[in-house]
Amino acid sequence: MQAFTSLFTISNLVPIVAIVVVLAGIRRAGRQPLWAEAYRRLGRNRAAIFSLVIIGVYCFVATLDSITWKSNALAQPESVITHLFNAMHVEAERTYSAPFAKMTTGEPHPHPLKGWHVLGTDGSGNDVLLETLRGCRTSIIIGGFTSLLITPVAVLLGMLAGYFGHRVDDLIQYLYTTLGSVPGILLNIAFLLVLGPGLVNLCFALGITSWVDLCRLVRGETLKHRDREYVRAARALGVRDIRILVTHILPNILPVVIITVTLNFSSLVLSETILSYLGIGVPAGTGSWGNMIDAARLELARDPIIWWNLTAASTALFILVLALNVFSDALRDAVDPRLRSS
Amino acid sequence: MIGYLIRRLLYSIPILIGVCFLTFVLFYMTASPTEIARRNLSAKNPTAQQIKDWEHQHGYDKPKWQQFVDTTEGLFLLRLGRSDSVKGERVMTRIKESWFPSFEIALLSFTAAITINLSLALVVAYFRGTYLDIYGTSLCVFMMSVTYLVYIIGGQFVFGRLLKLTPVAGFLPGWESLRFAFLPVVVAVISGMGASVRQFRTFMLDEMNQDYVRTARAKGVSEAQVLFKHVLKNAAIPVLTTSVQAIPGLFLGSILLESFFNIPGLGNYLVDAINSQDFAVVRAMVFIGALVTIFGYILTDISYALVDKRVRLE
Amino acid sequence: MKNAKVGSNAGILIQLFGTAVLPGCTLPRTSRVSRHDFMNYKNLTYRFRSIGTFFICLCVVVFSAGCGNSPYPAANSSRSILYLALTDDVKTLDPTIAYDVDSGSIVNLLYSSYFKYDYLKRNPLQLDLCLGARMPIVKKVRYLAAMPDGSKKMVDGQLWTFQIRSDLHFQNDPCFPHGQGRQITAADFIYSFKRMADPSVPCPIVAYFDTKIEGMAAYEAHNRKLINEHKKPDYSYPIAGLQLDRRNPYIFRILLNHPYPQLRYLMAMSFTAPLAHEAVEMYGAHLATHPVGCGQYVLAKYVPRGEIVLKTNPNRPVEYYPNTGMPGDRAAGLLVDAGKQLPLVNTVQFNIIREGITAWNEFRQGYLDATGVSQNNFQQAMPRPDYLSPDLAARGIRLVKSVGIDVDYYIFNMDDPVVGGFSARARHLRQAISMAIDEREEIDLETLGLGTPAQWLVPPGLFGYDPHYVNPYRVFNLQRAKALLAEAGYPNGIDPTTHKRLVIYYDNSYTDAAGRQALALHVRELDALGIDVVARSYRYNVFQDHVNNGQFQFANWGWVADYPDPENFAFLLYGPNKRPGPNESDYNNPEYNRIFAEMQTMNDTPARAHLIAELRDISVRDCPLVYQRHSEAYALVQPWLKNYKPNPIALDSPEYYRIDGALRAKLQHRWNKPKVWPLVLVLTLLIASAVPALNVVKQRANRHVRRSKPGGNAGS
Repeated sequence: MQAFTSLFTISNLVPIVAIVVVLAGIRRAGRQPLWAEAYRRLGRNRAAIFSLVIIGVYCFVATLDSITWKSNALAQPESVITHLFNAMHVEAERTYSAPFAKMTTGEPHPHPLKGWHVLGTDGSGNDVLLETLRGCRTSIIIGGFTSLLITPVAVLLGMLAGYFGHRVDDLIQYLYTTLGSVPGILLNIAFLLVLGPGLVNLCFALGITSWVDLCRLVRGETLKHRDREYVRAARALGVRDIRILVTHILPNILPVVIITVTLNFSSLVLSETILSYLGIGVPAGTGSWGNMIDAARLELARDPIIWWNLTAASTALFILVLALNVFSDALRDAVDPRLRSS
Repeated sequence: MIGYLIRRLLYSIPILIGVCFLTFVLFYMTASPTEIARRNLSAKNPTAQQIKDWEHQHGYDKPKWQQFVDTTEGLFLLRLGRSDSVKGERVMTRIKESWFPSFEIALLSFTAAITINLSLALVVAYFRGTYLDIYGTSLCVFMMSVTYLVYIIGGQFVFGRLLKLTPVAGFLPGWESLRFAFLPVVVAVISGMGASVRQFRTFMLDEMNQDYVRTARAKGVSEAQVLFKHVLKNAAIPVLTTSVQAIPGLFLGSILLESFFNIPGLGNYLVDAINSQDFAVVRAMVFIGALVTIFGYILTDISYALVDKRVRLE
Repeated sequence: MKNAKVGSNAGILIQLFGTAVLPGCTLPRTSRVSRHDFMNYKNLTYRFRSIGTFFICLCVVVFSAGCGNSPYPAANSSRSILYLALTDDVKTLDPTIAYDVDSGSIVNLLYSSYFKYDYLKRNPLQLDLCLGARMPIVKKVRYLAAMPDGSKKMVDGQLWTFQIRSDLHFQNDPCFPHGQGRQITAADFIYSFKRMADPSVPCPIVAYFDTKIEGMAAYEAHNRKLINEHKKPDYSYPIAGLQLDRRNPYIFRILLNHPYPQLRYLMAMSFTAPLAHEAVEMYGAHLATHPVGCGQYVLAKYVPRGEIVLKTNPNRPVEYYPNTGMPGDRAAGLLVDAGKQLPLVNTVQFNIIREGITAWNEFRQGYLDATGVSQNNFQQAMPRPDYLSPDLAARGIRLVKSVGIDVDYYIFNMDDPVVGGFSARARHLRQAISMAIDEREEIDLETLGLGTPAQWLVPPGLFGYDPHYVNPYRVFNLQRAKALLAEAGYPNGIDPTTHKRLVIYYDNSYTDAAGRQALALHVRELDALGIDVVARSYRYNVFQDHVNNGQFQFANWGWVADYPDPENFAFLLYGPNKRPGPNESDYNNPEYNRIFAEMQTMNDTPARAHLIAELRDISVRDCPLVYQRHSEAYALVQPWLKNYKPNPIALDSPEYYRIDGALRAKLQHRWNKPKVWPLVLVLTLLIASAVPALNVVKQRANRHVRRSKPGGNAGS
């Protein structure tokens, strides 16, 4: 047991806690009539269920990749997936090899391979299937963690601006208009340079640019609700502003927020590739579809063309984003109060 | 209307100052003048004295607040100054040289995108409920799910290398430029098509369920006429307002497209400046970018008021 | 929509969120009934149609402009224009400042110097006169030299006497009277030396001169003082070591305070090219984009990030294609143009192309006359080393190998407490790491077999290179490396103080795709030794800053020759050259320093070779560097480009190239027949797929009219 705890680090609790919180949140929301109805509608939508399953699979792979332990005291911690591949004796090769090939390619004197690789190997000899699976975690973290970062900030500022108006509104509007006036890519680059490379820092840099839209939306929605009768009534009864915001307005704008965040998720996942192209993506050694697609710029010019790296990464990315898009569409249809009122 | 415009313009001054401040702070957080000097001195190993001389020449040895006030004042008077690079060119001169390729490509892709997306949205709306509608909207979702990078790499491969229809990259002035603009424009249009067509289709379908459309149909107006005359006219409002927001892009161009297609435009200039830490250029370009963005917002409001008489700017 | 709160900058935008942020959601219907729906629609559809027409016209124009893939105007194929690629925009065209290869390849065509490298001679490279009228006369002199501290001291110096040609003129430029380039005299050479020493001009190699030319340091100090007082630098301040001849305006002398035979190579660099003071005074910093030179070409057009076009200089110095070459040059057709006046092409166009894949595509289509074989197109060009792919060979494309004069290496920081210093422990650790790095594998995987594994600093082709020498610590041997590691006190890589693996921080600038691949390989090699490698990648200039400040433990570095002399490489470990000088490892061995100082001033004699071998043996034992490789490259040359011979140092080769325009026009046409049918096919299929749907809608429309009910549902 002693040995186990020293090999199994505390950081493994993070993904587990995250999953428990998300599941609990979904379950809890289901008790409210609005969401219960939404769940019912979603359940009837076959495409939504299918894409949800796909997203679930990606999340599952990402979780497996987040749980790590060391095989001995001196080794680097490795994830479940890496241990699995090690157990199947999928070893790193010298350099590129095509799917199911027996020899390496892309070097002057081809060498025989140690094993066989379903999707071939990349330039550093890593199994492309393994790399693709490791990309799931990066993408989910970029989408999920960034959303997690920006949502509270954007909702809080947006509600304050919309509800209190005047000075507060001016200040918050000033803040996001200024940020919004600087080209987004520029801000991303600048913040990454300040923070230094890294997955978490990348999320912060993306968050800086993407909270603006959500904040504007929340402000607008709050503005609409502020003058509705139920809010006026609460105010007349002497309910405090904070309480009105939290218990009355927040639940009403939450559906819109959740839909926007889901829609935003896929564009965040896609933006990782662009940042990789600009040379400020996740650092080497972290599995990343962006880095794999970026490498394809060179690989496509080779002969024989190294197509498997690009194909694997862009297919994995495509399926995830497609599933996210379909699901968020379905979610919007299921939740949108304006549709429900008709 | 005039009063509103004046107020908007006044309001943009603190925003521009904020933008300058943000650029300034970010820049000093990411780079030290020493590092910029080293970068621009072009020597393998510049000496400490050379670096000091350089900082003095470019005013980086003044107090920070003084630098900020000086540069911001210069920007507001549109004195954009000289680049920090060894070439030391005037930023304004360079903008005059490079604005055209960016503008041409942006304008072409803007018009092409609106035309094509609107036509496709009309087609999809016209065939609503048929297999074409279902395939069309699914295709849109598919197209939204492919990353920009794949479009660029694929476009160069197919049009330039396999079909040999367009140059792979580069740019020439005059009418020749259209040949070079073709591929970037195609990539820009295709990559944005999925989202826009879906959005425009929704606008159209919204209109189609309106009472006036029903009235028109009841009067025996044909489906095509309903679509082209009544629906298009009303759907034009949201289409226009969403499209005008793209105007700032006309100035800065698409950074990615320009660097991939080797187009000597402003987007490329900006990226180069960032990479070589040319602060003088970055702050000037960001300032102008912000100026154009704010102008775009105002234009959105005006165009909105012009198209829809019910909106009054006050 | 009516209550649009305007006045705040985002008023309208908020109203738009229903449409902009949530595409597909329906807007509240009550607000959408409009009173003027039936007005003005004709106008609007008319506008819409006109946009459509405009776009169709545009398409027609695009395709009538020739739907070819040529990046140039069509008529240029057969003209005498040379098309080459630069990998990056030039930093500057100022000959006193330009130092990178891209800038240099332009500057060297615009500015000629006293010497130039012979186009055909190799092993060793030979200096020919260019603007010079005769070889410089070098005399030993003993004189009273001014020391940096102000004292005077007797030194053994050298006096070099240069004589330039009397038929030289600057290019025509508005800075001269009547726009006509004036004659060049020795004073213009002195002027460029003075400009190098001007503290406000960042000349990268001034350190090669200012301690050696008598009085240059004093001149520098004087001008620095003026600049600090916000005055203009004073070029009239005399430098004792730069002397004009009173009788002959074409003679100047340089007085050096110690022997410096390498000066002759520096006289071949564009830094020492004559400069017109009129141009510097008129253009100042703009000299960077407005060159006024005396070379074979003048700048005709410069589009930043686009292209650079050079045209023949009407005032160019008269030069001829060499009459003799190396054995084999005649057979290779390199002497066909012997004795002809240079240059052989009227126009040179450099396209600035950053993406390697783009340059490769353009070369394949015949739009670049020559290109390098990079790692990416390697296999396409060469299925195996030295063997051109049949596809390219059938097109008449030639493969030319070139050997660079450079060296890549890893550096240990000699000031680092773990890997630095001269203790046996640190030395064993460095040797262990050195032996764990398999250079053959690195060359195979990073540069596809191109390159010579480096045994020491001096590259092949230079005096002092020993092809038979094998560095005992650069033989890949993991067992021996592990044994050395144990000797260093880290058995199995475990640090006895922490009981964990020894951690080595490895700094580098590998941020692009190819770099990430190389990095993974390097880390894998060191991991195999049993130590933990923490790789830290920075942008290049940040990385450079770290190395120059000594904030690193283990890093990648390299050196490209300024001139073909072993001194230019051996000085990388010379103690006094320590950071931020070229000796980045801060290696400082008194024995090495002594022998280096002796070797530096010698001529290429066997005794010098012996000293170089001694330097090598001393530094190899201490192992401050892990030598990687000397580069090799292949270039691909189109069949219509003649006289191509790579030169590792000189950058003026385009002066000697010749273009067979007729052949180029013919082949470009043959290789680039556009295919339109797939596009037509796809469009036809798309349109055809709409036909059945048209029927469905027609039926539905008829039904609607009958029943007067709205059609398909609007849900998305």
